[in-house]
Amino acid sequence: MRDEEIRSMVEKILDQMLNTSTAPEPKRSEVIQTTAEALKKKEIPAESGECLEDITKTDLRRQLLVKNPADADGYLDMKAKTPARLGIGKAGARYRTATMLRVRADHAAAQDAVFSDVSEDFIKKCGFVFVKTLCKDKDEYLTRPDLGRRFPADELEVIRKTCGSHPKVLVIVGDGLSSSAIEANVEDMIPAIRQGLQMHQITLPPVLFIKYARVGAMDAVGEVTDADVICMLVGERPGLVTAESMSAYIAYKPRHGLAEAKRTVISNIHKGGTTAVEAGAHAAELIVKMLEKKASGIDLK
Amino acid sequence: MKEELLSVGIDLGTSTTQLIFSRLTVENMATSYTVPRMVITRKEIQYKSDIYFTPLLDQTRIDFGKVREIIEREYEKAGIQKDEIDTGAVIITGETAGKENAREVIHALSGFAGDFVVATAGPDLESVISGKGAGTDLYSKEHHLTAVNIDIGGGTSNLAVFCRGDTVDTGCLDIGGRLVKLDRETGRITYIAPKIQKIIESEGWEISVGTIADEALLKPLLVQMTEVLEQSVGLRRDNPYYEKMITNQGIHLSQEISCISFSGGVADVVYHPEKFTDPFLFGDIGVLLGRTIRESALFRNLQVIESAETIRATVVGAGSHTTEISGSTITYTKEVFPIKNLPVLKLSEEESEPAAMGDAIRKKLEWFTVEGSIQQTAVAFTGEDNPSFLRVQEYAEALLDGMEPLLRAGLPLIVVVENDMAKVLGQTMYHLLEWKREVICLDGIHLAEGEYIDIGKPIAEGCVLPVVVKTLVFSK
Repeated sequence: MRDEEIRSMVEKILDQMLNTSTAPEPKRSEVIQTTAEALKKKEIPAESGECLEDITKTDLRRQLLVKNPADADGYLDMKAKTPARLGIGKAGARYRTATMLRVRADHAAAQDAVFSDVSEDFIKKCGFVFVKTLCKDKDEYLTRPDLGRRFPADELEVIRKTCGSHPKVLVIVGDGLSSSAIEANVEDMIPAIRQGLQMHQITLPPVLFIKYARVGAMDAVGEVTDADVICMLVGERPGLVTAESMSAYIAYKPRHGLAEAKRTVISNIHKGGTTAVEAGAHAAELIVKMLEKKASGIDLK
Repeated sequence: MKEELLSVGIDLGTSTTQLIFSRLTVENMATSYTVPRMVITRKEIQYKSDIYFTPLLDQTRIDFGKVREIIEREYEKAGIQKDEIDTGAVIITGETAGKENAREVIHALSGFAGDFVVATAGPDLESVISGKGAGTDLYSKEHHLTAVNIDIGGGTSNLAVFCRGDTVDTGCLDIGGRLVKLDRETGRITYIAPKIQKIIESEGWEISVGTIADEALLKPLLVQMTEVLEQSVGLRRDNPYYEKMITNQGIHLSQEISCISFSGGVADVVYHPEKFTDPFLFGDIGVLLGRTIRESALFRNLQVIESAETIRATVVGAGSHTTEISGSTITYTKEVFPIKNLPVLKLSEEESEPAAMGDAIRKKLEWFTVEGSIQQTAVAFTGEDNPSFLRVQEYAEALLDGMEPLLRAGLPLIVVVENDMAKVLGQTMYHLLEWKREVICLDGIHLAEGEYIDIGKPIAEGCVLPVVVKTLVFSK
């Protein structure tokens, strides 16, 4: 398949998701200058070498683009409860320029999150052990989910060496569909998990980083290591709300053929949802509970 | 995950004593693939007691024996055993909070009413509780506006201002229906409260104990009292007695109030004057005060909301609206609940910086040290939206440093943050203490200086703790 085709396919998938992204909790509300107005005030000549203001930095929940609202405070109060693009005003029958630009910027960030790789420097900095699934590149990863769940023999050997035999708990990281999510969250989440487990005298072997990983890759790791519990941190499909959302899939004795319902999931880990540190502390407790009850997913209820 | 709590509310007011039972439903509102988010989803009143006159031994003391009898009788009538009660609050309000034995009575009563029934007192808390009982907070939330509730009882009028559901201000005035009492048959005045006496004296009216009163004689006094209420919500500025009638503080009127609701015994007359033909029905000026308010600018110039409860607003508030639940990711290392009457050490924004935190806590802990022995204290601060793990460690180290005197006294460390970070913060503190000392760390709770917090036994599979945030102010 050609590059353009894959790109347009991913774009389509992303577009479909736009309406279904889940909402993180509101934080606070205050009036923020509209981007368009801000731009107008601060026009920068092209040759100055300065950057334009990053429009994705504006908190949409605090931006009201409706002109002359009857009750701006009331509107902002409602907006604080949802990341949906409410109160965007209009220009004739269309969006205003600020809204149009922002949708495209967020869309671009979502695509970048899928198509970029987690940087090698980052993997090194975190001290992760690098392995790769059967996928040979991003295109194959996106088109062949089955290959993203399996490892070649030499990589399995690395996994075996890194994790040892029959570890109690493994934490592994997979790029999944958002490399940005991994870079934004794992550094804060893993120490929180480690600390939480330490309370129960559980220590972790080194953390694997899996390139081109689907969630099912944890089953392959379980198969080869005979781990009791595996916690896999993986980048979620990005949406327009955030490209940095990560999930933790945790399963008791994951093996090939594990039913999806037996995975416990903590989703929405990002700065506007469940924060990485709290998610880590919570995950540690879940892991301990799984070890106690010898179950995960719906069996754990 | 759904759980029900049986809650009791008891109100010992200036004139009446009441009790209610209500059921609070706690549910997980998060999907099963995110961290849990437990919320109180339903508050349903199950039983309302009769309304009793508050039994007094004399002018200065409450008759605890009689109060206890009332409570026992009502528990029996409702068919509820004390050990079925999960949570609740006893509030002592109005003039009754100024009685000599108010403190003992309220603490004894809270212990008597149930394991986790908390003692509360204080005009500001009373204002919030009655406003919520009247449903004014909900109305202001649903209609996106600012509304005030005035709970006019026997001794005081409590004001609470709600802006889109949030409590923004409270106030209290010494205006009430039983500040002048008289004989129902003859109209002979039997009691005049001191502050009212002063107004009468400076106006030179012929009103004194022993006088036979009628509506015309009392009218100028009632007009003054109503004007004080008008001034309190910003409808006038010229009443000479307003400042003197303030109990502890007035409301600050920082935002425009568009709606008003009334609760308390007098509110029944305000809403339905036609039902009260006998002006001295209760042997006091309550009916006449209600009528005067009905005719005043309070009723004409503001949009009037029908309140959900009138005379029972405070007791419903105490039973249904005092219990909150903590955030759903928290830390407690041992079950030592309930913990009652925990004073709050609140850190300001600047003091919440880890670099300043240690010193600030140590300094403020001195306030909670009486004759060399330190009191169990909850340290409260706002916290951060999205802290890094390193930042959490800084917080934990600073807290341990500041709370060292508590550790030395062998007390558990109790920390309450507003932002969602309690689980990791608590675990980090516990880690630094080498898992040897008890740590309780809650989030999702806003606390202010001078408040107290009571923490109940864990619910919903141990995932959350019920808490009551309150004040304990007894002095007049």
